[in-house]
Amino acid sequence: MSSGSGGMFPEMAAQYWVTACRVEELPPGGRKLVKVNNIEIALFNLKGVIYAIKNRCPHRSGPLIRGFIDPAGGIKCPMHGWRFDLRDGSSERPAQAAVYPVKVESGLLYLCV
Amino acid sequence: MQLEQSDKLIKDEYAFFLQEKNGWSLTAGPQDLELVAHALRVLLHARTTPDFLADYLALVDCQGEDGGWSPFSADRESTVWVSAFCGLMLIRGNRLLHHERLARSVRKAIDYFLAAQQPDGRWVDPRWADLDTTSHPVSFFNVVLALDEPHRRSDVLRAWERGARFILDHQSADGGWYDNDFHPSGVEITAHLIQDALVADLVIDNRVNGVRESCAKGASKLYEWQAADGSWDEENVDHTMDCTRSLMVVTRILGDGGGEESIMRGLRWIIANKNPQGWGDFPGMETNLERTCDGLDTLLKYKAYRNENPRDVVRLWGYVP
Repeated sequence: MSSGSGGMFPEMAAQYWVTACRVEELPPGGRKLVKVNNIEIALFNLKGVIYAIKNRCPHRSGPLIRGFIDPAGGIKCPMHGWRFDLRDGSSERPAQAAVYPVKVESGLLYLCV
Repeated sequence: MQLEQSDKLIKDEYAFFLQEKNGWSLTAGPQDLELVAHALRVLLHARTTPDFLADYLALVDCQGEDGGWSPFSADRESTVWVSAFCGLMLIRGNRLLHHERLARSVRKAIDYFLAAQQPDGRWVDPRWADLDTTSHPVSFFNVVLALDEPHRRSDVLRAWERGARFILDHQSADGGWYDNDFHPSGVEITAHLIQDALVADLVIDNRVNGVRESCAKGASKLYEWQAADGSWDEENVDHTMDCTRSLMVVTRILGDGGGEESIMRGLRWIIANKNPQGWGDFPGMETNLERTCDGLDTLLKYKAYRNENPRDVVRLWGYVP
């Protein structure tokens, strides 16, 4: 199993790794909502790669955990269809979703928040 | 559902809504204007608008020079969708408030929408699907026409008809409207278009051919899409409220008694899935103010829907004075 965005954010000085859940709680194809530092984060396991994105859509706060995954690695909000790339949170809409680096160690899944 | 039960819910939820006033009132500071417009609609339908003149004047204060509004009150870049919602609340509110500043603001908003319409009749907003966006200025113009606002009336009539025609021309053969990016399921957009844009024509002046058939097909599609538990769109609270309200006004205007069972199932699901105070976006989610405003609006419209005179519920969309 690999992490979706771990190691891509070397500039994050004030952030630190926090345990999110046990890895077996997020099997391939699964999704899970966790709350870390009072932030709701939606976790997705796409074919063994784990992605973490802030749960609330920047448009109207729709819950991305209930969104629709597409084959290109995007998530569409269930409220009004805004799509975000799970790798970097980018969107064709006037918004950027927050994504979080992920790492797995000793059976635990960590998020950098 | 018994009316007494809905009256009690309305009373309790309205008290909660007032308790959360700092979260939606412009008198408390800058706000998300979509939420503000949702709140002003509750005030209108609860018949408490005259107690909130300061909120309406504050909405005028954040109108842009071009006559539009930005999604956030402190910003200055006008966008169509939220501008239509704000303009609609002002023209409807001013029926009760009779304030010259509000009247001037409505005329500026009319200018904004006339200037922003595209050559093919649509309006665009990067935050919303074109069809959904178009339905909002059409809805605003519905009320401008219904209330006999004279400002640039012939221009408004032309723009309104072109907008309505754009929507009609994009209805699918199955009766629904779809947008692959924003609304692939078609549920919410279909509910919006028939209630906000099209059906008003049947009570204003029957100007656009095909509206009655289009609305009937749209309503049929909503019946078909409803889940056995009464909800729409995978238990989406927002979309279930949209569909339930849409069927209330559309079936009343069409004289379609077949919608009653669907409306009641939708309403029962909405009530069964409310939080102790307010509603969230999906069952079990925490309450948010926008959904709570939608929930209150649904209950208030249901109360009017139960009245024998069909104009009572139509009035809550502003299509009759």
